[in-house]
Amino acid sequence: MKQTKTRQLPYTVLGIVFLAIMLFPVYWMVNTSLQSGPAAVNATLIPLHPTFVAYQQAISEQLGNMGTSLAVAVGTVIFTLLVATPAAYALAKFRLRWVGLVMLALLISQMIPGIVIANALYTAYNDLGLLNSIPGLILADATTSIPFAILILRAFMESIPPSLVEAARVDGAGHWRAFWSIVVPVSRNSIITAGLFSFLFAWSDFVFAVTLTTSATVRPVTLGIYTYLTANIQSWAPVMATAALASIPAIIFLVFAQRYIAAGALGGAVK
Amino acid sequence: MTAIDLAAAGTGQAAPKEPLRRQRRLSVERIAQWAFLAPAVIYIGLFFGYPIVKNVVMSFQDYTTKTFFTGEAPWVGFANYVSVIKNSLFSTTLINTGLFTVGSIVGQFVIGMALALFFKRRFPLSGVLRSLLLLPWLLPLIASSAVWKWILDQDSGILNQALLFLHVTPAAIPWLSSPNVALISVILVNIWLGIPFNATILYGGLQGIPEEQYEAAALDGATGWKAFRYVTWPNLRPVVSVVLVLGVVYTLKVLDIILGLTGGGPANATQTLATNSYQQSFVVFSFGTGAAISNILIVISLVFTVVYLRLNRRAIDE
Amino acid sequence: MKTIRIVAALAVAALVPIGLAACSPTTKAAPSASHLDLTVEDYFQAPQVDVYNKIYATCAAAEGDTVTATHVPGASLISKVLQQSSSKTLPDVLMLDNPDVQQIASSGALSPLKNYGITGKGVSPGVLSAGTYKGDLYGLAPAVNSLALFYNKDILSAAGITPPKTWAELTTDAKALTTPDHYGFAFSGINTYEGTWQFMPWMWSNGGSEKNINTSQTAGALALLTDLVKAGSASASVDSWAQSDVDNQFIAGKAAMMENGPWQIPSLTAVSSLHWGYVPLPTRTADQTSQAPLGGETFNVTNTGDKAKQAAAGKLVACINNAKNAGAIATANLYIPSNEAAAAAFGKANPDLAGFAKIIADARARTALLGADWPTAATKIYTAEQLSLTGKAAPDAALAQAQSGN
Repeated sequence: MKQTKTRQLPYTVLGIVFLAIMLFPVYWMVNTSLQSGPAAVNATLIPLHPTFVAYQQAISEQLGNMGTSLAVAVGTVIFTLLVATPAAYALAKFRLRWVGLVMLALLISQMIPGIVIANALYTAYNDLGLLNSIPGLILADATTSIPFAILILRAFMESIPPSLVEAARVDGAGHWRAFWSIVVPVSRNSIITAGLFSFLFAWSDFVFAVTLTTSATVRPVTLGIYTYLTANIQSWAPVMATAALASIPAIIFLVFAQRYIAAGALGGAVK
Repeated sequence: MTAIDLAAAGTGQAAPKEPLRRQRRLSVERIAQWAFLAPAVIYIGLFFGYPIVKNVVMSFQDYTTKTFFTGEAPWVGFANYVSVIKNSLFSTTLINTGLFTVGSIVGQFVIGMALALFFKRRFPLSGVLRSLLLLPWLLPLIASSAVWKWILDQDSGILNQALLFLHVTPAAIPWLSSPNVALISVILVNIWLGIPFNATILYGGLQGIPEEQYEAAALDGATGWKAFRYVTWPNLRPVVSVVLVLGVVYTLKVLDIILGLTGGGPANATQTLATNSYQQSFVVFSFGTGAAISNILIVISLVFTVVYLRLNRRAIDE
Repeated sequence: MKTIRIVAALAVAALVPIGLAACSPTTKAAPSASHLDLTVEDYFQAPQVDVYNKIYATCAAAEGDTVTATHVPGASLISKVLQQSSSKTLPDVLMLDNPDVQQIASSGALSPLKNYGITGKGVSPGVLSAGTYKGDLYGLAPAVNSLALFYNKDILSAAGITPPKTWAELTTDAKALTTPDHYGFAFSGINTYEGTWQFMPWMWSNGGSEKNINTSQTAGALALLTDLVKAGSASASVDSWAQSDVDNQFIAGKAAMMENGPWQIPSLTAVSSLHWGYVPLPTRTADQTSQAPLGGETFNVTNTGDKAKQAAAGKLVACINNAKNAGAIATANLYIPSNEAAAAAFGKANPDLAGFAKIIADARARTALLGADWPTAATKIYTAEQLSLTGKAAPDAALAQAQSGN
């Protein structure tokens, strides 16, 4: 065991090097947030005199907004998976008549600029009283994640061997039981992947946040950051501090979720 | 495989001629099957139907700020489309959109695939590193595009300072301020942004390939590149299709990153159909023209998708 | 819509106002019979927002009313207003950046201020023309701002240079002030309205007009800026710098002089080691008058159809524009009151801003000539500037190309 680990060490090093390059802009962001100097242009490579003023400001002003973002993002994941997983299964495995048409509609829905949807939703939300509400944002954010999740899940589910489901059906299980007891567990990896991206889409949404909220009571953190920039004095340190701070719960979520992506989940099930 | 049903769209499979009883049982079955799809279909209809119709209607109207208040928008037929296509900017934005999309997709996909294969080997810390790869997606684009702007600044940006220090380049490169370089810079940043998406989904696809297939292939002497060619690639095909199609569709409508970095400039060097549509609508308040451009964008997106899926299907059939 | 740039452009333009507005004679009208809750919408953020909130509340309380204020991000204000127009949910009092007033007034969403006895008496003509559409006053800005030439006193005195007054002086001074450490001059030539806004002083002072930019006067102005970049006296990056980037460069000591506005002053005073001053922007010849564009936010009464609320909204707009509140707004934003008499008094009390009081007396509204057609012209102007700054076309050719509607 120990021997394998040493042999794999070069991979770890290579991975770290690549990650370092990929994440340099992230480092630069944190670096800037620690240098609350007046001129971002003068930021040094390493924060020699780090100051946490920006973080204090970010925590005091943005904590509530982070909570909103988290609630919206988690809500979007749940709603998306509930709607998308059965649909993806149906599209992948049932010989339904209008499947081609549904697929086409899903793809077209992904081609529409977000701003077009946001503008149309505003009027409807206004009539329905969904402006400035977390459910309203969840429904809106799902416009990106539901079609996406269906397409992704369907692509993964196509490789589920029909024999798996048929075996359960022969045992007398209805469609839903077969779905819950066979399809969902076997598709765990892909469901987590789709959920991750639903989370990320909702977390980083700006268009719907800015269009469908007006009050400070329901304000996702992207919008909170944005208001820093439209204030008279543009100060980047709190922007970067908020961005850095706000990503911490999300990072934890990502690491946690990724742990559950298992190798060869399907392979095991087929045996 | 994703392609197949799509190509069948419109043809519709004929209902099989069967005895009545069988047909009735079948229709109960059908209803049960449609129940899986119903929530999604209803949601899509509600949340996408209205915006699409509205956008199409708008593109045939003289839709201005006044329209919002009065509701009056005179019909102008194809005038908005004609003025868009006649404008000399149209060919520029078309070329930029093409270059931006092709450049971004090739870069994202190749690097993403390489990373997915790399992470497939489990090594110490691989899980954590894989999670951290998604970090660029957690940063609000408004923050990351500002950071990129500083990094790419011609005079004080860290990238030019590093390149000059290492003597890679004799003079500072005007990353964002020269019309000849700006598009490349924007593509590079967009590749950076797209790598996590490609790598993560392709990685998920790789995990679904049964290990037995590799073992069997290895017995036949297929390892390394051959294993990729004959085991990985065919198995990954449905996922690759989705990643590429969605990648192109998403890239065609990229707006934020371009607005954040260059705003379509300098001198329209990074102006794409998406940014131009945004500008027509929200900068010049010519909403009809903006809608026309976004509809053109949707049609291009659609044509690409259908053509790609058909070609892909043919490739599978052969 | 994460449109940083465009948003920032709108926001910055908005930050620019000055302020004393006309105190209407009807403000003392009897309190309305019943209690009303008025809605106000603006794009102010901390710390200025507190000043505005207090003014709204005090003004409404004087009439026995209350106010609910909504503060939206600057860039999203116009799209929000349009959505509210179509869903008939406009606020009673709407704040608008002054170049947007005519655009929104032309849609019918605003109600003329004369209906509420607001005439704008004593307000500087530039401010009035910004709020006027087809002869009627629709919006009034309590305080406004403009652009000036800021300079780094240490760098200039070390070089033995006094701030330039003419274009020729600017060209030679900027050249002389350019060293490996810093450029002589910085300005924003970005492809947004912000770039257009920064170009206006050069164009107007030289007799150019937004009605037709394909003229030798405008070409002269564009050639000046283009040559500064060509000569290396200004960074080639000016074509991607917003005004905040320009300010950043100046604070970092990377530019000896910059074109910018008073809203940046807090960021300058925050740096104790920075010694700075400002003068009107140079003109081509010494006998020309420097004409800077006028910036600032107007307050408007919307056309909601609710007579009682509209009357109360009119009183609120008048009250926001009274001398005392205009002074408070000017102080909070570092603007200048738009009432001429108040501006003079304000300048005396705030020596830092006295120079701007003079600059604003000659300032022009961007929409004065073109009204609702301004956005098209503004787009042409920054398009031409970009073509020229990047060397894609000579100044006159760039202007001809942009004017022809590209």
